[in-house]
Amino acid sequence: MDEYSIPVPVKPPAEIESLYLPVPPWLEEKSKEGDELVLFVGPQHGGSGHMRLIVRVHGDVIREVIPDPGFVHRGVEKLAENKLYIQNIPLVERPAIMDCINMSLGYVRAIEKALDIEVPERAKYIRTMLAEVCRIGTHLYDAGILSVFLGHTTGFMWPFALRELTCEILMRVSGARITASYVVPGGVRRDVDRGTLNFISDAMTYIQQKSKDFEKVFIRNPVTIARMKDVGVLSRKEAIKYGVVGPFLRASGVEYDVRAVEPYDAYDELTWDVIVADDGDSYSRFLVRVNEIQQSIGIVRQCVKALKDMPEGKIAVDTKGKMLDSVKGTFFRTFGRLTLPAGEFTTLTEASRGTLLYTIVSDGKSNAPYRLRVVTPGWYYLKGFMESLKGCRLADLQAVYGSFGYFPPEADR
Amino acid sequence: MKKDVNAENIEFLSSGLIAPIKKWGAKWSLWAVHLVTSCCGVELAHAYASGYDAERWGSLNFGMMRQTNLIIVEGTITKKMARALRITWEQMPDPKFVILIGACGIEGGLFWNSYHITRPWKIIPIDYFVPGCPPTPEGLISAIRALQKKIESGEAKTTAKFRETDLAKLLGTEVGKERKPPKPPLKIAEKPEIKIEPKEVEWEFGKKLIEELKNKMPFAEIFAIDINRIYIKTESKFYEKVAELLESEGFDHVKSLNVIDLPHENKFVVECSVSSYSVEELMPVIVTFSVEIPRDKPRIPSLIRFWPSIDYQEREMHDFFGVWFEGNPWMGNKFLLAPEVETPLRKDFKLEEPSYVLER
Repeated sequence: MDEYSIPVPVKPPAEIESLYLPVPPWLEEKSKEGDELVLFVGPQHGGSGHMRLIVRVHGDVIREVIPDPGFVHRGVEKLAENKLYIQNIPLVERPAIMDCINMSLGYVRAIEKALDIEVPERAKYIRTMLAEVCRIGTHLYDAGILSVFLGHTTGFMWPFALRELTCEILMRVSGARITASYVVPGGVRRDVDRGTLNFISDAMTYIQQKSKDFEKVFIRNPVTIARMKDVGVLSRKEAIKYGVVGPFLRASGVEYDVRAVEPYDAYDELTWDVIVADDGDSYSRFLVRVNEIQQSIGIVRQCVKALKDMPEGKIAVDTKGKMLDSVKGTFFRTFGRLTLPAGEFTTLTEASRGTLLYTIVSDGKSNAPYRLRVVTPGWYYLKGFMESLKGCRLADLQAVYGSFGYFPPEADR
Repeated sequence: MKKDVNAENIEFLSSGLIAPIKKWGAKWSLWAVHLVTSCCGVELAHAYASGYDAERWGSLNFGMMRQTNLIIVEGTITKKMARALRITWEQMPDPKFVILIGACGIEGGLFWNSYHITRPWKIIPIDYFVPGCPPTPEGLISAIRALQKKIESGEAKTTAKFRETDLAKLLGTEVGKERKPPKPPLKIAEKPEIKIEPKEVEWEFGKKLIEELKNKMPFAEIFAIDINRIYIKTESKFYEKVAELLESEGFDHVKSLNVIDLPHENKFVVECSVSSYSVEELMPVIVTFSVEIPRDKPRIPSLIRFWPSIDYQEREMHDFFGVWFEGNPWMGNKFLLAPEVETPLRKDFKLEEPSYVLER
């Protein structure tokens, strides 16, 4: 067949051409040779997420995906160097606001490690309970976004309706629907009373009951299974090689969970299972998180029971180890102008989407960190995510994207 | 913005014979393009989900910008995203509207002095602002209702009413004069020393592991800084050698690559933390090895051949500090940052300091 040209004006108007982000020149050259196509997906695309994927396809089989992150890079690491230690707590939870407790927990624990203080028992349980509530919320959020990616609007509505309950819990406990800033060095901001504990317990029962319906509507839906089964497979070896984290690592058969490997707060006093799957495909990545919701509900119940048996009050300690009933008064004066001893303090936290690392480098003189290194789960598994797309069909890109629950503000920080 | 686009849109809707039909159509079909720009997207999703159901007012989140007439800018707009935002807005058919939610979009919010953000109202014309960090779904819905009223009546009305206050009198300064706020309690040392020193810990396995590593690396200084944390100090020529030995020990992935800038000593400290997934007893252990490199010629070999998982972190550190990792194929290109931002995490890159200006 002869080639013929179609006179379509494909050139964009000159005045907005300067707005285009540069593409590496070698990529442009590469796209012209052979029968490959280079596609640009995003930053405006059908699902949630704000990153550009540069996809090299042959036919409709993906050869390589080059990520272009940074659309939500806000410079948390630099800003943290210019704020007091305590002012950084709201800052570090902004990357993943639905996961606020886990995000601030890692940072606060690094401070506590440096000061060498032991948190009161009650505060430990409250932290653990809310961290798990956030985990349930985040997994539900990701399930909803996955449904949007698969074009399943009902599957978006269900988890978001259940998420309202986790927002309500955070609101009753901390006063904010999403950005709680609840964990402070030495404990938590305020106590949880009995009525709220009862509400949390009821909410867990409701989520557990309703998630059975969600299972019928979305999880066991033949369309969902057909779209995700055996798509975007990461073998155990690959997952380790590319340093994937969290539920996505466990879906590839590696039994690694920071909560079990290096327990913090009350995790070593509670019973729960590390969920592991062997397939490493998109569907098992999703199922691992679905099962983790059930485990988290169990943990929250145990925490509620323990908190009910405990006397109220005593939710914080100050720098000298004195127990406090409330963080009012001297608390912020002592912690506000905090200077950490010189050294390097690293904590690992199991955030909802995986390992979260904070490294505080302190010089011992300033009352702001000299350097704060934050590596979020999204940033860890980005490499594995890109590798798992190789060999998939282009139409599977959304399913794999959704199965990773990739949240760009979290990855870009 | 030279022309007043917002006023033009309203004028278009309220002119001609079929003006009532145009108004009615635009009012009940405010479809928002799916341009989730930042973390306020969480509350936007709630507003459109079953809890609040903004579809009741005819607003619906939709995929393509060509079929939509509303952008909801969700919070922070970075310098990189600003371009995408403008292009999306340009491609939408007229008449089009913009609602901006979140404190970051208004004056930067928590990130006001960040090196990578900009103000969305400098890029596209905004109809309504919704404050909050993040605003509640009710806030967003009331902005949609306000926009509907604006379409119908033709005039923009604020939904929040504040009492008028004479700012100059309140603050006791002249209008327009710059006024420094009370001094922040921030105290930053001029020429700090970064000392990482051994710590006495009760950790049997660690003592054994450190002995083992010491036998293999006689050229390095190895000690524990905490339980489960081992620190290795060495010279930059042994950087690859240490990596090779650690990889053969069973450390199979990278936890963190960190660069510490010490301008007064004219050096960068490059720290690489590794851990293991495949060896069970090494799982909680993080081994950090650090080398010092000159600040004016920051070149260091890439470790990508030992650990592919270090790839993006090396690209990131190249962006942040300008350290050149020899062997990483991406060097020389920007990865996270917008083209105009250069090495922002170096200590001599100063951020704007807070100051208040009264304006009328």
